[in-house]
Amino acid sequence: MNELFEIKGGDERLLQGNEAIARGALEAGVRFCAGYPGNPSSEILETLAEAAKELPIYAEWSINEKVALEAAAAASFAGLRAIVSMKQNGVNVVSDFLTNLTLSGTGGGLVLVTCDDPGGISSTNEEDARLFAKLSDVPLLEPATPQEALEMTKWAFELSERIKNIVILRSVSRLSHTRANVLLGSIPPYENRAFFDTKSPFHTFPVLTKHLGRHRKLDEAMAHYEGSSFSRYDGPERAEMLVISSGSSWNYAAEAVEILGLTERIGVLKLGMTWPLPVNILRRYLKYSERIFFVEELDPFVEEGVKALCAELASEVGIKEFYGRSSGHIPICGELSPSVILGVLGDIFSISWRAEEYRARMKSLLPQPSPPREFGFCPGCPHRGTYYAIKEALAWDGRNGFVSGDIGCYSMGIWPTGFSQVKSVHAMGSGVGLASGYGKLGQFGFDQPVITVCGDSTFFHAAITALINARFNNSDILLLVLDNSATAMTGFQPHPGTGSTAMGEKVEPVDIETVCRSLGVGVEVGDPYDMEHTAETIYRLMQEAGQRVLILKRKCALVQGRQGGFPYTMRVDQQKCLGEDCGCGRYCTRIFRCPGLIWDSSVKKARIDEVICVGCGICASACPSEAIIRQQKAPN
Amino acid sequence: MEQFQGELIDRVFDRGICVKCGACVGLCPYFRYFDGIVAVMDRCVAGTGRCVQVCPRAGYKSTAPQENATDGNGIGIYRSVFKARASVDTLHEGVQYGGVVTALLAYGIENSFFGGAIVTDREGALAPSGMLAESVTDIARCAGSRYSAAGSLAVFNKAIKDGKGNLAVVGLPCQMEALERMKHSIPDGAQRESAVSLRIGIFCTWALDYRMLKDFLRANGVTGAVKKYDIPPPPSEKFVVFTEQGRREFPLMEIRGLVQKGCSLCRDMTAEHADISIGTVEGEEQWNTVVLRTEKGEAFFEEALNKNIVEKAQLPDQNLNHLSTASRNKRKRGKNAELELSREG
Ligand SMILES: Cc1cc2nc3c(=O)[nH]c(=O)nc-3n(C[C@H](O)[C@H](O)[C@H](O)COP(=O)(O)OP(=O)(O)OC[C@H]3O[C@@H](n4cnc5c(N)ncnc54)[C@H](O)[C@@H]3O)c2cc1C
Ligand code: SF4
Ligand code: SF4
Ligand code: SF4
Ligand code: SF4
Repeated sequence: MNELFEIKGGDERLLQGNEAIARGALEAGVRFCAGYPGNPSSEILETLAEAAKELPIYAEWSINEKVALEAAAAASFAGLRAIVSMKQNGVNVVSDFLTNLTLSGTGGGLVLVTCDDPGGISSTNEEDARLFAKLSDVPLLEPATPQEALEMTKWAFELSERIKNIVILRSVSRLSHTRANVLLGSIPPYENRAFFDTKSPFHTFPVLTKHLGRHRKLDEAMAHYEGSSFSRYDGPERAEMLVISSGSSWNYAAEAVEILGLTERIGVLKLGMTWPLPVNILRRYLKYSERIFFVEELDPFVEEGVKALCAELASEVGIKEFYGRSSGHIPICGELSPSVILGVLGDIFSISWRAEEYRARMKSLLPQPSPPREFGFCPGCPHRGTYYAIKEALAWDGRNGFVSGDIGCYSMGIWPTGFSQVKSVHAMGSGVGLASGYGKLGQFGFDQPVITVCGDSTFFHAAITALINARFNNSDILLLVLDNSATAMTGFQPHPGTGSTAMGEKVEPVDIETVCRSLGVGVEVGDPYDMEHTAETIYRLMQEAGQRVLILKRKCALVQGRQGGFPYTMRVDQQKCLGEDCGCGRYCTRIFRCPGLIWDSSVKKARIDEVICVGCGICASACPSEAIIRQQKAPN
Repeated sequence: MEQFQGELIDRVFDRGICVKCGACVGLCPYFRYFDGIVAVMDRCVAGTGRCVQVCPRAGYKSTAPQENATDGNGIGIYRSVFKARASVDTLHEGVQYGGVVTALLAYGIENSFFGGAIVTDREGALAPSGMLAESVTDIARCAGSRYSAAGSLAVFNKAIKDGKGNLAVVGLPCQMEALERMKHSIPDGAQRESAVSLRIGIFCTWALDYRMLKDFLRANGVTGAVKKYDIPPPPSEKFVVFTEQGRREFPLMEIRGLVQKGCSLCRDMTAEHADISIGTVEGEEQWNTVVLRTEKGEAFFEEALNKNIVEKAQLPDQNLNHLSTASRNKRKRGKNAELELSREG
């Protein structure tokens, strides 16, 4: 048994923030877990899905975040505790249901976990999903440490059940992916009592009454929070400055104050609930100082709320001087770090904090830094073949065509690794929706061909509706479904096309080809490794009108690597290699750019990096000189 | 002028004056002939770019060494000019006029004067394109004129890459010029030239842009592949296409709008860089005008004549005069167009 799922607690375990959230849910007796993968949230549901193999709970990867919350809400309506997890973009997808659900209220404790990605390190955007809590009038919790992530998740279920509404728990990348020792509690006994009480239905009517009720629930949540132990204040009663912080940025604030030796001069307040703001707690600590410094990830969410509160309480707490985002002390975007806070406090208190020394120490604690790397497809990645074929077809076509991109590894088509063919990327499925729009622009003189791409997972998530839209409105659209049989970017979670569920149950895969055919659109299937033929097919389809789907099937290179590997051993015949000369001009390393090929500047020839090259063999057909040689691997 | 691909892009592609001869295609991955156009696939960094050197439109070094010497008659240096046609036994189906080109090629292949011939195939799902014909069947299948440029020198380049030699090349005047430029190109022009056994040039006033032609035909209800094109000699002023659906005629005036821009710069109507140049004879559709220019061309033609592959007759003075005038006019138009282009910058 995985020790993370032990019923009896009492021991400390080294847990990742996301695992702590999952454990917290288990300790709350969660029964129904759903989610859609996306960094930095994926491990929450992955952990719960593992748990579901050992404990009597259910976990699923849903088709998208909205369906995940809907499915989880059903469990809640039937009196079960349920959790959904997603990244910040997912909350946008959820929001339509969310803003209605918060009117109808919930039954069993229901918690939505959003893991925000400050800095947009693995996202198409940088977004503070906390605003959705305010928008939909529900409590928002922000744990600061893995231990607190566990406790707060557990508590969130209680709160949800008490106020009969969903509770949002917000993590950020640093918390989700940090590891710390966490003391486990125990998992309560399970009993099956799922029941939908038809006498108390869940709907939003009458809207005004429900809206009013939603606000009353917020007041109740605030009162309940103020009795909890999730707020913390460290510092003197008369402080030169009060730092108000939430979530993982509290750690940075506390660390900075300590490093600068300001613990006697600065007070640090940590808020565990940031919506609604705990008025009584704030009323008390705001009196401690005239200067308020806000430390929180992303938007000035607490900052604006507290400022409004200060205006309201001015006669009581006095006039304040504010430091934060609107004062320009904290950058308006990007991820926070201790050094940002050290810099701000160092300046304000005129303390040289020896940035260099700090950085040097940080560096010495880190292992060998990894060499800088550009974004690129893996060696053997089918997307390289796909984009190569697209590049060829678009060049042959010559009408200034372009690719409307979507979300997945293949978003990297905006960079040289995908021959910079992708010219727009937004949200899941949006590339296809955009293409559906471009396909109606002919009447306005638009004559550029558009190719849209989406992965298999994205196809199910939101692209399919856009394709149906194109079919319905008879838009000219060419959709390439890059079917690599994986949700590769986020870590190979199963999806409807893979034939197994989050819990490892075998199911009949939903076949994209059959789905498309049933829509009455033209469907062809191709192999992205066969670049020339695929390019010809794409070119031919580009000349046609109507709705056309080309499914390009090839397993993700990482999956293929695990399932039998690749057929070739590669080498470059340097005798034949033209190198920089006319006839080639370093084509393989400059244009084709598989990392398995390297430029040997000492002899001015290309060669294979045996460590990186997996032996997919497709570069051989790109070499103008037949210098890249594939040799069939001996069967093992 | 620098010998970089960028130069070719600036001078030719960006100005839209590529005539799809195909000479720059197949030397490397950076150019492709596909469905009637020559596409720039990527940017290259190699120096000594053969692409720039061979292009008849890039203006690399001075062109057409014969031009000045022949201002007089307009048809370049030649040894003899006459009319000819394939003899009854060697007349292949589908030939454009007298069938001399096809008859000579078939004879040459059959008797191993050359191992293969670079010709231009009919269109199918895609535009006409070059073909390496290695049998009489191949040659016969490519008989007839496609009035759009078809990049057939790409196939010549590929044949050389594949180690082929001893080739006859049939081409438009721009393609003969490209072969001439190739001969002088570095580093391997001379070597590549040695693969050419015979250059058969065909007369040309202009060639059409295939994709524009296709759009035009489609707009006029002609879909599917065209089996034969014809421009009956003046004064008919017609453009005729034969398809599965039958014969369709269009006023030549309408077709002139589909001529590739780069053709306006061309000064050569009679393929002055060929060994043998072949065209039509005004008013006599069953004959070809034949210009023998080199010793090699003459020797080969004499052989064919002796073997009764072709028959020849005197070209009436009036026809020769017409041809001279038409050629001189083309040269003038080309010079003027070039001046205009250089003013555009
Ligand atoms: C674009 C074009 C413009 C022409 N303009 C004129 C003109 O203005 N005046 C004139 O007298 N003659 C012109 N001709 C030549 C004429 O049409 C005949 O090709 C020539 O007279 C030879 O006739 P034939 O009966 O011997 O041809 P065939 O025996 O039928 O042989 C024709 C040969 O030409 C090749 N060919 C076909 N299309 C092309 C092409 N697009 N590019 C290169 N090679 C090709 C074929 O592969 C074949 O080998 C033109 C030809 C073309 C292709
Ligand atoms: S593409 Fe081929 S010829 Fe060119 S550098 Fe690479 S291996 Fe050498
Ligand atoms: S065979 Fe070529 S394309 Fe495939 S991984 Fe190796 S270097 Fe890359
Ligand atoms: S012919 Fe030579 S210089 Fe020109 S694009 Fe090709 S490799 Fe580059
Ligand atoms: S005219 Fe010929 S050589 Fe010049 S760019 Fe066009 S195809 Fe290439």
